Amino acid sequence: MQKYQFVVIGGGIAGVTCVESIATFHPEAQILLLTGTPLIKAITNYVKVSKFLEEFDIEERPFSYLAEQYPNLTIQNKVVARLDTDRQVIFCMDNTQIQYDQLCICTGARPKLLSETNPYVLGIRDTETVESFQKKLSTAKQIVIIGNGGIATELVYEVEHCSVIWAVKDPHISTTFFDEAAARFFLERIQLAKEKQKLNEKRQKYETTDRLASTQSSTGNLCGGALGPDWAAERSMKGASPQPRQVHIEYEVEVKSILTSEEYQQRKSSTSIVQSSNEIQWPVYVELTNGKIFGCDFVVSAIGVAPNVELFLKSTNFTLGADGGLLVDAHMRTSVKNVFACGDVCTAGWELAEHWFQMRLWSQARQMGHYAGKCMLAYANNEQDSLTMDFCFELFAHTTKFFNMKVVLLGKYHENDMKKYENLIRMTPGEEYIRVTLKDGRVHGCVFIGDTELEETFENLILNQIDVSAFGETLLDPNIDIADYFD
Amino acid sequence: MPRTYEEELKYIERINSHCWRIKKGFVPNMNVEGVFYVNNHLEKLMFEELETASKFGGIGGFLPGMKQIANVAALPGIVGKSVGLPDVHSGYGFAIGNMAAFDYNDPKAIVSPGGVGFDINCGVRLLRTNLTEKDVQPMKEQLAQSMFDHIPVGVGSKGVIPMNAKDLEEALEMGMDWSLREGYSWAEDKEHCEEYGRMLQADPTKVSQRAKKRGLPQLGTLGAGNHYAEIQVVDEIYDRFAAGKMGIDFKGQVCVMIHCGSRGLGHQVATDALVAMEKAMKRDQIQTNDRQLACALIQSPEGQDYLKGMCAAANYAWVNRSSMTFLARQAFARCFNSTPDDLDMHLIYDVSHNIAKVEEHIIDGRQKTLLVHRKGATRAFPPHHPLIPVDYQITGQPVLIGGTMGTCSYVLTGTEQGMQETFGSTCHGAGRALSRAKSRRNLNWYEVLDELKEKGIAIRVASPKLVQEEAPDSYKNVTDVVETCHAAGISKLCVKLRPVAVIKG
Repeated sequence: MQKYQFVVIGGGIAGVTCVESIATFHPEAQILLLTGTPLIKAITNYVKVSKFLEEFDIEERPFSYLAEQYPNLTIQNKVVARLDTDRQVIFCMDNTQIQYDQLCICTGARPKLLSETNPYVLGIRDTETVESFQKKLSTAKQIVIIGNGGIATELVYEVEHCSVIWAVKDPHISTTFFDEAAARFFLERIQLAKEKQKLNEKRQKYETTDRLASTQSSTGNLCGGALGPDWAAERSMKGASPQPRQVHIEYEVEVKSILTSEEYQQRKSSTSIVQSSNEIQWPVYVELTNGKIFGCDFVVSAIGVAPNVELFLKSTNFTLGADGGLLVDAHMRTSVKNVFACGDVCTAGWELAEHWFQMRLWSQARQMGHYAGKCMLAYANNEQDSLTMDFCFELFAHTTKFFNMKVVLLGKYHENDMKKYENLIRMTPGEEYIRVTLKDGRVHGCVFIGDTELEETFENLILNQIDVSAFGETLLDPNIDIADYFD
Repeated sequence: MPRTYEEELKYIERINSHCWRIKKGFVPNMNVEGVFYVNNHLEKLMFEELETASKFGGIGGFLPGMKQIANVAALPGIVGKSVGLPDVHSGYGFAIGNMAAFDYNDPKAIVSPGGVGFDINCGVRLLRTNLTEKDVQPMKEQLAQSMFDHIPVGVGSKGVIPMNAKDLEEALEMGMDWSLREGYSWAEDKEHCEEYGRMLQADPTKVSQRAKKRGLPQLGTLGAGNHYAEIQVVDEIYDRFAAGKMGIDFKGQVCVMIHCGSRGLGHQVATDALVAMEKAMKRDQIQTNDRQLACALIQSPEGQDYLKGMCAAANYAWVNRSSMTFLARQAFARCFNSTPDDLDMHLIYDVSHNIAKVEEHIIDGRQKTLLVHRKGATRAFPPHHPLIPVDYQITGQPVLIGGTMGTCSYVLTGTEQGMQETFGSTCHGAGRALSRAKSRRNLNWYEVLDELKEKGIAIRVASPKLVQEEAPDSYKNVTDVVETCHAAGISKLCVKLRPVAVIKG
């Protein structure tokens, strides 16, 4: 039986960052990373600092490079079969057993699929599914995208030369991120052709290693590490239609059923739908709750993710959060001794800071992974009393790009009951959209779309909690250099 | 009853072609007069701003620069005059570009965080190189990318240089001495920095836990907004001798300018102090004309705690700029396959423009210890001043003026006249006067907002950005500003720099 101080299950960004964190703070730690799918080749800013600081190298290196640097870090391609948390042993599919002192579960979450079995319904989650999507897209003329979150929004923009039917269950698009006004702001851009990516933008990059050879058959159900920022950037998302851009949106609908070509023909012949002679025969049809039926080459299901917890629940009684993830406390500990969890698989169960909330984002997975590593080390050295939560959990902050525009979300930008708060809005059509939510005269949350240059100022206003009620909407007056004012 | 614009003008009197006086009575309780420096263009902007405020009863809660200068003149213990530099514009508490000095030994004199700014020790440093524009042009993209690789930018970015809580404590106490010890700084860098990169009164225990938590991940990062690093080339040399002392010898010489401060840590120190001082003001019977001018007696526990915390935050900013200097040197070295030493990447100077300093000045022939607040203002000590480095003794202290990102920057030197008139202070950059732009209604867009309102959601709508042609010309550009300082004699033009690449969040 193998024995390790620290074992991390899951080779996505959370798991990899957790391992990186432990190894950085404690280079002698015995660490094992178990991953059943291609390892995220997370490009780490590897810092090589020589003894007298003559050499200082920032390089983008594959994560496996870290493994070469830290001799006590092992990476193994294995699939976990079950856990024995009393004896602190992991049983793998290939019958190996691994004993751990501290375990961290970073198995992420998988896309909820409208249909698990229909070959025309795809989910997008990891590189493998993206590649599968790209391949299918290359011969597609029309697709239906179901869902209203980040992946759906990004996909609608990235897909070219393919007609897109976007079905959302809300009255406006991208509700996870935007209010109606912001959604309207983006609608104008949806029909524009994709612009060239702007240069000089530095973003964290990642890739995956090459596909594993023999273990593929046993990992049929497993999902690889989730896609990171700019996942679509370098990829060709071109379909087979001559028109570069065609997007049609159906609001407040859900999927009623998915029909095969035959089922659709039967449906048509039993009603009196007039059939045009050159109507295309699609392989699959989507029936929406508003009665409309759209044919397409395939369907993308982007309706959210479900935490990968089933395997662990089989053998242990973990407490779950309301959204089905492993509930963790302020030290990223699950309800089971010596077992931690972080990333998409967990649910934040501590008393959340006023301006922070959990969203299953790449950046949060990274932050949690980093912090979880520190926690595991602290508990191993009996130093848990000196643990304080990283500052990143004080303020929700997310930077992304939608429709080729920079989007920055800060704090509680999306309260369920918007009526309780005052909102300051500034919109310059085609250029920017800013919404600042105030609570008791102080900045509570913000949405910045476009190159507003205001993110840092408002990040500080939220954290400082300065009373800005005296300014009213002049706070956002573009002729006032508000960044300078509060500098 | 509010005054008319004409009534207000009665308190403003021209002193000379570059200088105006604000007489006592312009606002209540003025202890000294105010003074502001302008040229023709800037003068117009100052008065337009005042007129707009008079006509409309203010500009949405923001006060015109003239009023802020005067409100500062009403603070207890102020000596000399409340000075508005040519780039003066509306700020929190004090205007940005406002210098005010207080008698350190007067028991009634105060210290005010608004007179320092939230970004404590926001400042600028300039590195020279021996590269020419020709060397750099073909490598521009690569160089910028290399800088980007080394210097993290943007909201939420994490520092690259490994640091833990203990490191932070030491950095807060030791400032650039910490950087030197860790190998991020060259020994000569210290010489070319105000306070030698370390304020000795710093006390990390006066910096709150929250401030430290905010500061830890941000060390060595540029942040966003108006903080940036620029690769620049020398565009003009006005004073060949002084430039030569700085190692600037020819047009086209490549330099690197880094503009940033203490970021979240400074913000928290300032915020904590404002809260503590507001509470103490009643106890010590301090009254001000503006709530934002929260302050404390210099000698009170709140005042002393703030100064010690401010010094620690200032040290943090110097460590930050040193870290970025280190990273910039590495970036260049990598790009040109050389060493920072061979590239002659020396630090010309490092100035602070958001800070309060305890300094000795001569007033009416007598030496006094003053607490000089410089917010959006730069120290500009004259030749032969004991606190400036040996190599600048004859030429005076270099003053680095970072323009707005993407526009020109300048290097000036301090003058004796500046020492007399403004306690050795000059401008810091550019600014913008308050103006009331015509609001542009775009019916389509407002429809959506009306829908929101109908749902019971409270919204207030700010005017949209205007197109260049429509935008009001309220901009106080850096060239006007430095030329005014030069003409007024409070600092001397030395070098003009032009940006070639910008690294920002």
